[in-house]
Amino acid sequence: MGKSKGISVSPKAIQLRLGIAACLIAGFLTIVGIPGWVSSPSNVSNIVLSPTFWPYTLAALTGLTGFGLLLASRTASPIVDPEMAEVAAAAGWVRLAGLAVIMVLTMFALPRLGMVWTSMIVFAVTAFMFRTRHPIVALICAVVIPLALYAFFAHVAGVAIPQGIFVRLP
Amino acid sequence: MKFTKLTCAIALGTVFGAAAALAEYPERAINMVIPYGAGGATDISARTIAEPLGNAVGKPLIMANVTGAGGATGSVTVQNAKADGYTMLFARVGSHSVNPAMKATLPYTLDDFRFVTVYEINPVACAVTPASGINSMDDLIAKVAEGGVSYSSSGVGSLLHLAGAMVLKEFGVEDPLTAATHIPQKGGGAAATAVLNGTATFLCTNSSALASFVANGQLKPLMVTTAEPVVGFDAPTANELGKDRLNQLVGWTGIAGPAGLPDDVAGKWGEWMAAATQDTKFNETMTARGSVIRLMDPVEANEFIEGQYNVFRALVDELGMRIEG
Amino acid sequence: MSFVDSLMAGLSVVASFEAFFALFAGICIGVVGGAIPGLSATMAVALTLPFTFSLQPITGILLLLGVYKGGIFGGSIPAILIKTPGTPASSATILDGHPMAERGEAGRALGMALWASCTADVVSNLALILFAGWLASFALNFGPPEFFALILFSLTIIAGVSGDSLLRGALSALLGLLLATVGLDLVYGTNRFTFGDPNMMGGLNFIAVLIGLFAIPEIIAMAWNPTAHLGKARALGHTKVSFADYRRSFKSIIRGSFIGVFLGSIPGIGAAPSAFLSYSEARRKSPNKENFGKGEIEGVAASEAGNNGVAGATLIPLLALGVPGDVITAIIIGAFMIHGLQPGPMMFILNVDIIYGLFIGLIVSSVFLFIVGSVAIKGFRFVADVPKRILMPAVLVLCIYGVFAVNNNIFDVGVMFAMGWVGYGMLRYQIPAAPFLIAFILGPLLEDNFRQSMLMSSSDPAILLRGPITWFFWALTLITIIAIVRNIGKRAGA
Repeated sequence: MGKSKGISVSPKAIQLRLGIAACLIAGFLTIVGIPGWVSSPSNVSNIVLSPTFWPYTLAALTGLTGFGLLLASRTASPIVDPEMAEVAAAAGWVRLAGLAVIMVLTMFALPRLGMVWTSMIVFAVTAFMFRTRHPIVALICAVVIPLALYAFFAHVAGVAIPQGIFVRLP
Repeated sequence: MKFTKLTCAIALGTVFGAAAALAEYPERAINMVIPYGAGGATDISARTIAEPLGNAVGKPLIMANVTGAGGATGSVTVQNAKADGYTMLFARVGSHSVNPAMKATLPYTLDDFRFVTVYEINPVACAVTPASGINSMDDLIAKVAEGGVSYSSSGVGSLLHLAGAMVLKEFGVEDPLTAATHIPQKGGGAAATAVLNGTATFLCTNSSALASFVANGQLKPLMVTTAEPVVGFDAPTANELGKDRLNQLVGWTGIAGPAGLPDDVAGKWGEWMAAATQDTKFNETMTARGSVIRLMDPVEANEFIEGQYNVFRALVDELGMRIEG
Repeated sequence: MSFVDSLMAGLSVVASFEAFFALFAGICIGVVGGAIPGLSATMAVALTLPFTFSLQPITGILLLLGVYKGGIFGGSIPAILIKTPGTPASSATILDGHPMAERGEAGRALGMALWASCTADVVSNLALILFAGWLASFALNFGPPEFFALILFSLTIIAGVSGDSLLRGALSALLGLLLATVGLDLVYGTNRFTFGDPNMMGGLNFIAVLIGLFAIPEIIAMAWNPTAHLGKARALGHTKVSFADYRRSFKSIIRGSFIGVFLGSIPGIGAAPSAFLSYSEARRKSPNKENFGKGEIEGVAASEAGNNGVAGATLIPLLALGVPGDVITAIIIGAFMIHGLQPGPMMFILNVDIIYGLFIGLIVSSVFLFIVGSVAIKGFRFVADVPKRILMPAVLVLCIYGVFAVNNNIFDVGVMFAMGWVGYGMLRYQIPAAPFLIAFILGPLLEDNFRQSMLMSSSDPAILLRGPITWFFWALTLITIIAIVRNIGKRAGA
């Protein structure tokens, strides 16, 4: 199966970057993350019972894996697999950013507009962002699918689907 | 959240007029948040009362389980909801008296809620396995003195956690936290299993959670905390053992709204609950599960919960059980 | 009472139109509920529970069991078709089921899922009927130290689903383990990485993480390159599974069923780890190992056998001990109690008619599942023919609804989105997602059981080796690790 999702980076570079990332994560957790965001009571009877014991263990293992990846990168092939290679398109980055914005706006809109109206907009916008070949069908689906899901979840499954503050559905 | 409230207020104010909207309460379905998972004691209690209550209300009640953090996640949902009576909470002993008493980090206090009722009391029973050779509370206390005794719970800050410590303390164990080991489990089912398979020595929990194990002879009850004996539990009551203070140690389920709940809404809930708890089928189902149906009006409910909270809080402070981190 | 007497007593309670109708209806509800991501088998069972209050006990319980069994199979339908597992148990099915659908073999994958599910269901039911008492008393020997050893062994599955780089698999697993530490600490109740947010205190919702990790990256990848899928033979969902396929995978199905029965009879593990374990065992034993993860039909068979093998077996601790093995059986226990039945050893004496009635119903349920499943596959297969650029927005919207419905919490939708980007980053850097997920499930179990063991023994590590069960799993773990290290050596030498 020809993967188009890969990136035009050699196995060597992948291992190297991941190794660096893993070491950074481990370092950050050990120095800042765990002391700052994991609280441990003062009366812990034994170190292995402390709430911080397991996170520290994991951070250490992550660091080790990072070093392993760095080591492995030395022997990995520096040649880009032609099957994996693809042209990084600027349009792709724009669409990625667009999708990220859609997701953030969705989180903002869900409690205010309600789930049905928000998902109609999300459906329509994403379908057009993907440059669908069936714009009319997409629009119809954008209206029908959220409504059908609402009917099912709210009235068959009895879920309290967020309604928002503007237009309430029965 | 503030933005929401503001817009809500404007929308309501302009379209309906806030007073008019309240006068017709309820004009649409009411969201009932259950802060515990499906199949638990709170969930079953809530879903059993849902039918008679729904009939009394006249509008649908939408049950929503919002699980997490020992009931805190669901409680916060209601705490932050608009106090219009359309988002209500099935509050439980764990989320609204043990948790506030034990956890300094809890994102809410009792003052953030207005209780409209408590409708169910669950006696608490302590039990061991027959294989343990423990036959009475005295045996258990003697074992504690020898050392190596542990008790299971459904998690830190649960009723079971506090109950284990409180019972030992009442029976004269000076420092129950070091004399016996608390082994927390994930959930009530796991807590009972831990005693069954010998991971822990005993547990104290709602009698309904123990009923089938007791009936099957897998667990042996040592005591029930109510003044009256519990059907199916061949064990002395706390009063017979001379520990009247343990009567405070009971489970309960009630209904609460956010703190600003208007009086007329609270009043309506009082009427509905009075009607709903008359339902024979509801009474039969709940009694079969070992609950005692006791309807309290808002004032009585608040007093009851405050009273229980104060007893628990005093114990927690005395034993140094409060979680600060 | 002899066996025949018990059987007749069972027949007398179950032999009614209502009982079988309830079972059939339950399976239909379950398959549809399981096929809708986020609704999941658990929710479907919880939603059906109130309807059983007014039914005869046996009818009500059969209804719930039908929903349960149908739900576990139904989850594999969206897993294969849209890479979104309908229930956590079907996440292993994605690994090979979805690549098959991408190749235009959705029908074949779904068919195999059904056949494997029904076979495992039969095995599981037989195990329940024949060995309930024995397996239940065995399961009671599992305390925290035994659990710890078993879960440590289960973590070696990660090596089997890591793809071509064990190190990247390990990194993925560690990220999963780290993410699973979010929430309240088990022993002290203190905050870990919650940042004071009450939504984080309960930990990250499993389904939100699961869907975020598998379904959302597909949508993000589509935004990166909307036309990547063109020219692929996706729209050919009409291939069928053949008997030869079934025979070839039969060994894996039976092995998976037994793994399911074993893990199902121990309370507290659940179907998802079982599916992954079955999958990785099938891969280990298969002559065409390399094909796993790229659309190998035996992988689908093994995963589905692993999760359906659990379905009957979770009733073993329920009926024999009164102990629920997972969330779903916890709800079913509620139904028993509402009808005044108290599951446990005495039930085999006091309510023999109900027990045998259930057994008969369970056997029949496998047949019903096959019928309903076949119809469902025909009904859902059209999804494979929907144009992908319409399908993906629909999947996105479905995921939003589904993830919200799991816990009625908008925060979970945010978790799903965030995990989607994590998953997409992993996709681009060729980090496999399956180890992440396994670690996310097993990590908390590993830590909790370790700390419970330490509490039991006042921090004496010797308790971790306290009996034959622990020795057995430690030995298995060691052997597996040695095998993995050797394999690496071989690959490095080659």
